[in-house]
Amino acid sequence: MVRSAAAERTTGARFERPGRHGGTGGIPRGARAERLAPFVLVAPAVLIIVALRLWPLLLGVNFSFTGDGERNGTSVGFDNYAQLLDDPLFRTALRNVGLLVVLLPVAVAIPGLLATFIYLRVPGHRLFRGVYFFPAVLSPVIVGAIFNLMLGFDGPLNAALGAIGLGPIDWLGDPGVAMFTVIGVHVWATFGMALVVFLAGFSTLDAALLDAARMDGASLPRIIWHVIIPGLSRTIQFVFVTTMIGMLTSMFGLLYVMTSGGPEGSTYLPEFYVWIQQGRMNRPALASAASTVLFLIMLVVGILQVSVLRRAGRED
Amino acid sequence: MPGKRLGRWMVAVPMALLALATVYPLVFTTNVAMKTRREYILDRFSPTTSLHLENIAAAWNSVGMARYFANSLIVVTASVILLLLFGSMAGFALSQLRFRGSSALFLGCLAALFVPFQVIMVPLARVMADSGLIDTYPGLILAYVAQFLPFTIFLMTSHYRTIPVEIIHAARIDGNSTYGVYRRIMIPLGAPALLSVGILDALFCWNDVLIALLMMPSPEHRTLMVGVTSLRGQYSDNIPQFASGVLIAAIPVLLLYLFLQRQIADGVTAGSTKG
Repeated sequence: MVRSAAAERTTGARFERPGRHGGTGGIPRGARAERLAPFVLVAPAVLIIVALRLWPLLLGVNFSFTGDGERNGTSVGFDNYAQLLDDPLFRTALRNVGLLVVLLPVAVAIPGLLATFIYLRVPGHRLFRGVYFFPAVLSPVIVGAIFNLMLGFDGPLNAALGAIGLGPIDWLGDPGVAMFTVIGVHVWATFGMALVVFLAGFSTLDAALLDAARMDGASLPRIIWHVIIPGLSRTIQFVFVTTMIGMLTSMFGLLYVMTSGGPEGSTYLPEFYVWIQQGRMNRPALASAASTVLFLIMLVVGILQVSVLRRAGRED
Repeated sequence: MPGKRLGRWMVAVPMALLALATVYPLVFTTNVAMKTRREYILDRFSPTTSLHLENIAAAWNSVGMARYFANSLIVVTASVILLLLFGSMAGFALSQLRFRGSSALFLGCLAALFVPFQVIMVPLARVMADSGLIDTYPGLILAYVAQFLPFTIFLMTSHYRTIPVEIIHAARIDGNSTYGVYRRIMIPLGAPALLSVGILDALFCWNDVLIALLMMPSPEHRTLMVGVTSLRGQYSDNIPQFASGVLIAAIPVLLLYLFLQRQIADGVTAGSTKG
């Protein structure tokens, strides 16, 4: 299709995707309105995202260098950050982030392994797929409330343990146990999400490769190691990053309902700390500093994961 | 091959147990919700013999679950409508129109996708308070739209990229303006994606507790999920009532899941395959 550069300029908006060429055709009515159309279309989105997401991000970093209370608005340098490092609750929150990073491979391997079995059509795979995914749609608040019942001292889980002569365990009352309990419930509630993502990844896997490996009589662990993991490296990378982000940013509801950070502050995470300082203690500047630390943690963890996984992928 | 078949069952049995562990907490909660307080204290595990739906009715009427439910419904409906409108408009422009700064905009949108709410919640609360929007419906709705718009735009853009340019050319030749193309082509052809993104947005907003706690703190403005967090204190001595309240909050989502499981899964995976 041939078109003049002038016609293109008056339309302003060329109907094409990058890298593809096609004419716009037609005669522009109200050339000015047409030229402005793309900007009008993106305007509400741009306004909202800039005003309520990007601007607050800058504002928050700025906030974190000012004081609270009577020092409100005055610059205090790195005081808030120093105070954070002094606060045992924030240190616990950071230690718990470390725990999350350590447990992350488990939280990825469980849905990965289950997706592999479902993909290999274990008996009942259709049913499993539907059932496993369902807790993922429940709010953390509802999950937390349900598990408050399940994990009560005289609840079903301790009853089941009692039946085989174990326990009872104070799942949410023991400072050494509570964080593991909350993470366990989080994994229970979200592994279906990662499972579905893995299954979507499997659908892009070259089935011929898998068949060839089976014909050669390769065992399942070997197939997983040599065919599935390299073939799904992008999906695995995606699940690692999203699972980590999920652990750092979507456990608030569970913590709020199940432990409120207790017992003895053992279940604090940075996001919960931010909430407490902002919502309960009225320390917005300190909360902003904690937010900024959380953001940095997410950036570092994200970049590290992507680079580590990339390198691992290349070696295969 | 009997050995191989045995292997498959050795995997299937633990997987079935896991499936049971996935469903059981909800079954237990439902069962408890149907019992009277006395039945619960005597035996909490046995299947209930009578359906005491009055627990549900009591939870609905007495603690204001009805009010919370209405609050959630208002906020979620308005948020999803605005998200789909703004998301499809921006998605159309970013995928099919070329204009100055479009790729920078798309990158900015992706960047916003990775800014979690926890990171901006303190200054956002300040911005909302300064503009008089804290503790109002528009304030919470705006907060939800801002939170989930980058995700919505991202998915709508990747969906609209699959629509062939020729269709749009044809519509232009028929005399449609850019807005006409949006209304007559992009909305109808985007319907499946709008449905799937809309369901996810609705789930996110409905399930949220942190944003609601921060933006609409007063008791009469509680959304359903904030209401659930207050149930435990009120019903610590009446567990069946507590379970009923939880069930009320879970039912809409469970219905959504039963009927629209496919769309939900599609939306979840769209980000991974197109990203």
